[in-house]
Amino acid sequence: MDKKSPQISAEDVLATCSAACPVHTDTREYVQRLSRGDYEGALDILLEVNPFPSVCGRICHHPCESECRRKAIDSAVSLRMLKRFLVENTKEYRIARRKKPAESRAGSVAVIGSGPGGLTAALDLALLGYRVTVYEKDSRLGGMLAHAIPRYRLPVEALAEDIEDILAAGVEVRTNCEVGRDISLDELQKENNAILIAIGLSESHSLPIPGVESQGVFLGTTFLWDIANGMNPELGDRTLVVGGGNVAIDIARAAKRLGPSKVYMACLEKREEMPAWEWEIDEAEQEGIEILNSWGPKSILEENGKVTGIEFKSCVSVFDDQRRFSPSYDESVTTSVEVDSVIIAIGQKADLGFLAKTPVVAERGRLICNRTSMTTSERGVFACGEVMTGPGSAIQAIATGHDAAKVISHFLETGETLELPQRAVTTIGELPAATAALAKRFERVEVSLTDPAERIKDFSPIEPGYSEAEALAESRRCLACATGAVLKSAAHCAGCLTCVRICPFGVARVEKTAVMPAQQCQTCGLCAAECPAAGIALSRFATNGMKDTLGAILSKSDASKIARPFVVSYCCLNETTSRKFLMEQTEEEIRQSGILRVMIPCVSRLSTLDLLSPFELGADKVCVIACSENGCFYPGAEELLAKRVNRARKFLDQIGVGQNNLQLFKTEGSAEEYWPRIWEEFRSASEKTVDRSELAQ
Amino acid sequence: MIIADPKPFGQVKGYVESFEKILIVGCGTCTTVCLAGGEAEAQILASGLRIAFGKDGGSKTILEDCVQRQCDEEFILPILSRVENEKIDAVVTLACGVGLNFLADRLGKVPIFPGLNTTFYGAAVGLGHWAEMCAGCGECITALTGGICPVARCSKHLLNGPCGGSEKGKCEVDPVNVDCVWQLIYDRLKKLGKLEDLQNLLPAKDWRTASDGGVRRTIREHIYSPK
Repeated sequence: MDKKSPQISAEDVLATCSAACPVHTDTREYVQRLSRGDYEGALDILLEVNPFPSVCGRICHHPCESECRRKAIDSAVSLRMLKRFLVENTKEYRIARRKKPAESRAGSVAVIGSGPGGLTAALDLALLGYRVTVYEKDSRLGGMLAHAIPRYRLPVEALAEDIEDILAAGVEVRTNCEVGRDISLDELQKENNAILIAIGLSESHSLPIPGVESQGVFLGTTFLWDIANGMNPELGDRTLVVGGGNVAIDIARAAKRLGPSKVYMACLEKREEMPAWEWEIDEAEQEGIEILNSWGPKSILEENGKVTGIEFKSCVSVFDDQRRFSPSYDESVTTSVEVDSVIIAIGQKADLGFLAKTPVVAERGRLICNRTSMTTSERGVFACGEVMTGPGSAIQAIATGHDAAKVISHFLETGETLELPQRAVTTIGELPAATAALAKRFERVEVSLTDPAERIKDFSPIEPGYSEAEALAESRRCLACATGAVLKSAAHCAGCLTCVRICPFGVARVEKTAVMPAQQCQTCGLCAAECPAAGIALSRFATNGMKDTLGAILSKSDASKIARPFVVSYCCLNETTSRKFLMEQTEEEIRQSGILRVMIPCVSRLSTLDLLSPFELGADKVCVIACSENGCFYPGAEELLAKRVNRARKFLDQIGVGQNNLQLFKTEGSAEEYWPRIWEEFRSASEKTVDRSELAQ
Repeated sequence: MIIADPKPFGQVKGYVESFEKILIVGCGTCTTVCLAGGEAEAQILASGLRIAFGKDGGSKTILEDCVQRQCDEEFILPILSRVENEKIDAVVTLACGVGLNFLADRLGKVPIFPGLNTTFYGAAVGLGHWAEMCAGCGECITALTGGICPVARCSKHLLNGPCGGSEKGKCEVDPVNVDCVWQLIYDRLKKLGKLEDLQNLLPAKDWRTASDGGVRRTIREHIYSPK
């Protein structure tokens, strides 16, 4: 937080989830759209910045979740799973929405490498109208996504969805075409106006220890490539993987699926220092992989040229005082493990052989490039992805792909280098502990992975996706940060303190006028509903405009043709478990059913005026269907709503409308099953209160 | 702060049913704070009238507005313009009696009706709960009663209490909800170490400051400028 004003509008700052995402996905917006049943709109948000949502829905390391502000209350929203749900449920729409470049521009670009960075840049440039050709040395596109990530984590189909989408924009590809072998860099330079090197880090580092040439020693990426291409390496019964990173975990788990009775991992780091993600380590251990921490390989033991074991020396520390990698050992403490195969997964490097005898400079196995302009030593030759940044994630590579497209486009238009501005991201900051303590806990919807004993049998995906009900439930855990209450103007506020007194989270305060700091506001809308000056707006689902919204719907439906009695039903959106009631009603449906549904993320934000407005617009009855008993996200909201409805009912009696034409219901069981019963009973009940027991029948 | 309560809807409806174009005017100060007459209440009353008159088959126009304070000329000028320009037939105000009178004085031939009953000068003693604290008597005696006013807060306005109706700290008028103010005064003086003050009988109050001499007026000489 670097603003002095406690009142922050949604435009000012990024939610922490979006800030953490390398491509700044508008996470809050796609989750909110999902929660309203607008899966297509949510996909649009994803695809704006990420051409690999199917891949990321499966394998992203989800920095968004790591920074989710809900962690202060219970646990992060399961954003990766929500993303996966979206792409799995919008496949037809995704094909239908594919874009072609609006115009074609002069300029052609060769992209070397078809990993996430290269394809992202290719797509961006193609959509800008340039001619783009991707050169891939392999037969399949995707780079490490296609060859290094085991299928139990990333099914081929998920990657194919993303790639097909990208190619549909007009990106040309030449597979089985290795630059430096099948075509020279020089030729590419002659044929194109710019070149992007996006070759990733496709080769494994080896170990300079005795025995490394023995039969039964494999290099990590080669091992994974062989598996991905259906050429399973022959492992002995006991296998050991050297390395403690995510690739090492993938390799160990892949090895386990090839049949060895014992798979070890050995790494320099202590358990808590391991660079692999914690959840990956847990899943590996569940599969029976034994991790040997704080050991450095000393020699690979062999007999007759075949691996028989590996000897380790004790690793005392991995990093120096400046946190630089600088392992130190106690050579007097050693151990050895009897194994038949050793797989080396201690890191990757770029295959830069094709740059020999070209003007593009590489030194000590590294491509020389400028990270802010993405340029190499040769004019018109750019770099992105891991070859530029070093080891990273898919989503980081995608982010650099976008950047590469920007600098290349600039170069093609102006002939000049573009220094990308360093973006300072301001975020809304953490959810204050005092606010979090007042929020209700709603546990994250978890899915059960396939049983470890089953999943090690083959490479079948081990994680089921969310059902629709699960995805909707999880999406509603999103706090929709910074979309809460905002004072319309200081002149509106009498400083009456009503907002301060009813805010369930102790957020609102009066500093001459009301202030609802965005970092704390939980967007319940209670203050807006109760403000006697009608002076508080909600940036998410503003009920202040409810009358206009209803009026607009009814003007289309011609109120006089609607079946009587005509009921306006305000419904708690959070109770729906499918899109059945989330989809916009057709005019015909409203006319025939006599029911106009208004879906609201918590009906407690309805003001007294909102309860009366439907009658003004011609409704005969109004029902408010709240969540299940004690199901509300907002403490005290159910009681306040009940009081407000009672007040409106008494007022309706005075008006002469009759209080029973407005009723508050609680959802019992499934909304999809229970709500129609409410509507039926409520429409047929004349001037009496509909009893809960009648609905139960 | 001035506290007011909404009048029964039927009464307000009765006031205006012979008019066609009616303007409901909320007040953005005291009656907003006591949740009786702010912009939200103006919208609710207007909506109620539209529903009620619509039900009766009428075709009236009900408009609403709200100003910061109805007891100051500058704030009500937009309302006066609106009444004239939009040819309003009648005004219902959700201000206290002060705003009502002030507006009435300036509305010419257009009738004005109260939407509220002005009740007392009070304070919020809880959420949605106000209690009388001052009677505006014109001569404050609370220096002698620990800062607690018997004129406003004693059911009998006794200057020397309590009476025989005080039981367990409550007033016989409403033993559940009404405190005996003389019990409060006693407790307060005890805390202040001034219980001996109760030995002195308060003299009969000079009520001329409360009601004598016609309409009460106040002038601040340092800024006063006769029109």
